[in-house]
Amino acid sequence: MPSNEWLLITVGAILVNNVVLSRILGICPFLGVSKRLKTALGMSGAVVFVMTIASFVTAVLYQLLLKTELTIAGRTVDLSFTRILLFIVVIASLVQIVEILLKKFSPKLYAALGIYLPLITTNCAVLGAAELNAKVGRGIIESTVFGCATGIGFGLALLLFASLRERLELAKVPKAFQGTAIALITAGILAMAFMGFSGLVK
Amino acid sequence: MLEIILISAGVVAVLGLILGLLIAITAKKFEVETDPRIEEVQELLPGANCGACGYAGCADMANAIVTKGVAPSTCPVTNEEKQAEIAKVLGQEVGEAKEKMVAVVFCGGSISRAGRNAQYNGVMDCRSASIVANGGGKACRYGCLGFGSCARACPFGAIEMRDGLAVVHPELCRGCGKCLGICPRKLIRLVPAKAKVHVYCNSLDKPQQKRKYCSVTCLTCRKCVKAAPDSMNVQDQLIRVIYSNPPDPSFVEGVKCPTGALQTEESHRCLVPKAAADGKEK
Amino acid sequence: MYSDNPRKFIGGVHPDDGKALSCEKPIRIAPLLEKYIVPIPQNIGKPPKVIVNKGDLVKKGQLIAEADGFVSVPLHAPTSGTVGETVLIPGAVGTMIPAVEIISDGQDEWGSALEPIPDWKNTDREILKKRIFDAGIIGMGGAAFPSHVKLSPPPEKVIDTLILNGAECEPYLTADHRLMLEHPNDVLEGAAIAAKILKVNRVFVGIEENKQNAIDAMKEIAGKYGIKIVPLRVRYPQGAEKQLIMAITGRHVVAGGLPMDVGCVVQNVGTCAAIRAAVVEGHPLIERMTTITGSPVKDPCTWQLRIGTPVAEALKMAGGVIAPAAKLILGGPMMGFAQATLDGAVAKNSSGILLLQAEETGQYTSNPCIRCGRCVDACPMRLLPGPISVLVESEKYDQAEQAFVMDCVECGACSYVCPANRPLIQHFRRAKAEINALRRAGKK
Repeated sequence: MPSNEWLLITVGAILVNNVVLSRILGICPFLGVSKRLKTALGMSGAVVFVMTIASFVTAVLYQLLLKTELTIAGRTVDLSFTRILLFIVVIASLVQIVEILLKKFSPKLYAALGIYLPLITTNCAVLGAAELNAKVGRGIIESTVFGCATGIGFGLALLLFASLRERLELAKVPKAFQGTAIALITAGILAMAFMGFSGLVK
Repeated sequence: MLEIILISAGVVAVLGLILGLLIAITAKKFEVETDPRIEEVQELLPGANCGACGYAGCADMANAIVTKGVAPSTCPVTNEEKQAEIAKVLGQEVGEAKEKMVAVVFCGGSISRAGRNAQYNGVMDCRSASIVANGGGKACRYGCLGFGSCARACPFGAIEMRDGLAVVHPELCRGCGKCLGICPRKLIRLVPAKAKVHVYCNSLDKPQQKRKYCSVTCLTCRKCVKAAPDSMNVQDQLIRVIYSNPPDPSFVEGVKCPTGALQTEESHRCLVPKAAADGKEK
Repeated sequence: MYSDNPRKFIGGVHPDDGKALSCEKPIRIAPLLEKYIVPIPQNIGKPPKVIVNKGDLVKKGQLIAEADGFVSVPLHAPTSGTVGETVLIPGAVGTMIPAVEIISDGQDEWGSALEPIPDWKNTDREILKKRIFDAGIIGMGGAAFPSHVKLSPPPEKVIDTLILNGAECEPYLTADHRLMLEHPNDVLEGAAIAAKILKVNRVFVGIEENKQNAIDAMKEIAGKYGIKIVPLRVRYPQGAEKQLIMAITGRHVVAGGLPMDVGCVVQNVGTCAAIRAAVVEGHPLIERMTTITGSPVKDPCTWQLRIGTPVAEALKMAGGVIAPAAKLILGGPMMGFAQATLDGAVAKNSSGILLLQAEETGQYTSNPCIRCGRCVDACPMRLLPGPISVLVESEKYDQAEQAFVMDCVECGACSYVCPANRPLIQHFRRAKAEINALRRAGKK
């Protein structure tokens, strides 16, 4: 029942184990690009895109190259311990390529994402998705679905948070809590709210 | 053991090479012509994104400087040093530097010195008080309202509220002019920074009326005009410094303005007590 | 005392009305003063142009300023005498406005250029409309909108209903109440003239139920003119145009719309009495009913005052001030304007001069919105005052505009109920002024 499996992966990645609010990964763009709903939307799109492709590529790499016992020069070696190293290289290059393409085809989005697009390069959320795939041992298609769902989960958290912060801007915040402080508190409350989903998917 | 290390290193190296080539190819193929100077210029701009130049922030301004040939001195906030550096990046001569301007609040009517005729109990904001209650409690219809809207608007923190009066710190003021549009009484103006003497009054009422509600108003007695006819002139019910030829700071002591509306920038600041700030009326 | 099913609108508040101070006392006619100060800009629209000079002799009712454009009305001398200085006096909202002094000669001699038209039923509508314009009549409930403009709806708007506003929902004021009680015929005949000009048959008079004696007095002769008296629930702001239309006809004026969009024209009862005086007697608008009241006033009462009566003189007439007053308000406590000095003068729309003691006026500090929603219940325009005020506080005017702040009628019901003492109305006035300024800048 692959479709059922996919649904579980999707719901689990978006709501139950939300990458930002439950796994606490990718906090940098979560706090950085969440001031305006519009930029948050662009960032979410970029993350979904990058994560899906990164998960796919890393899964292919893992399944075909690292997981299988390679026989090189008459010796059988297990290279799976190098996966984090290789994943970083792959993801970083991938984001570079995406950045170049974005600059060419959508300069406005490029300007809006600004410094945060290169940050996806070292975004632990992307690496985390790839690493989780490898750890659980998901297949290529499942991994891609998981990557996409994780990206959507990230986007959901980001958009919710950005909307909250837009409202927060109207509120009178005590001086000590202004800026990032109140944002972190809000994020904490949001994470607690997401804890309500635990147990939805085993 | 060594083999595993060598093999893994080799695999990573090969993969890195492939990816590096891929990036190089994409970068070449989809290259976008951007001027590297834009970034350099942006680094040199103040980065306050105040918008005083008329562009949407410093990045936009940098773009305009490089691509449209806008003079770097259009940015009212940069100093001459930075402008010269920008010009160097562009390979130009430094344009004629703009004279440094600072904002001056033409009012000396702090709470203790200006009379009041009503108690204002509304929103503590100059624009709101001006629209809703015609300016709040102070009797003078031309003077500073003292709710500090300009101080909140200043991106450089150069305006301080002292005893219900906005006072500009010229060393912090960069002359961006943001406060000018905020003030509902329009009593903030940009003047050349070299001028140190000002007439701190904006009331256009007749002198006998002014005298009733303010102790530091300009009564147009012309004492200062007689002392320095080239530097001071009468406009309507007010005396103004001629800013193309401002008088020396020592001029103030010599004239002895009867109300004290004529002050140097420094003595004006010293006269207003620092306490009871916040722009709140008691 | 109250009927079972009075007409009403949604929302509103019921403040302590304070009308008992003056509602039992008959209207008194003000003595002739030595000097009147007639404010020049009195109407919404363009102020009239002064046509007399210092030292000119004028008769009572003589033109002293002529209208400048369509949305403008002329001004007339309140008594006979000499034209004095043109001075600056504080207008109702606090800005300084020019005013002409008229020094009385004590004769109080009529010199109106307007001929009485007793047979108005057989007179051309345009002549009647011209007369209303010539008499300088504006909305006397407080809006100060020129009446002849209101009575000239564009031809594409079908008007089928004329509503007389006798609600007088403002606390403390009893000017309309006494007028309807003592001069019901003046009001109803004026209404009949307005109805003839508008060519409508349906005429209603909305009166709040706390003025039962006025309702009775009006009902007695209303049949003669075919006018219906409608008792209304006692609820502020019952007298606001859109709320009155809602209560009486059940028609809803949409956001940004005008009463004429739903076929209605609303006139104040005082305006109707002025219309009758102008048409039947040929008297221009130089007098009005004004309630001088408040707990510090010795003898609160409704007075028939000349336009241009200085506020200080008016207070003297009412016996002077017997307790320390903290606040002077021109108009009612909800919609009126607090005054800084006694230098103002009675204008055509001054329905009241109200003094309040310190403990009667609130001196509050604004607290953050606690989202209780009471302002939402109270708002007669079905707006969300709390959230809008937060938007205005952070100067997000575009969002405030999207939240329909421009439909605010500034009735003050939200500020009245707010437990956090938020100055909601001040915020909305500011937002409306700023948005209007932005719109003007955008057009240019």
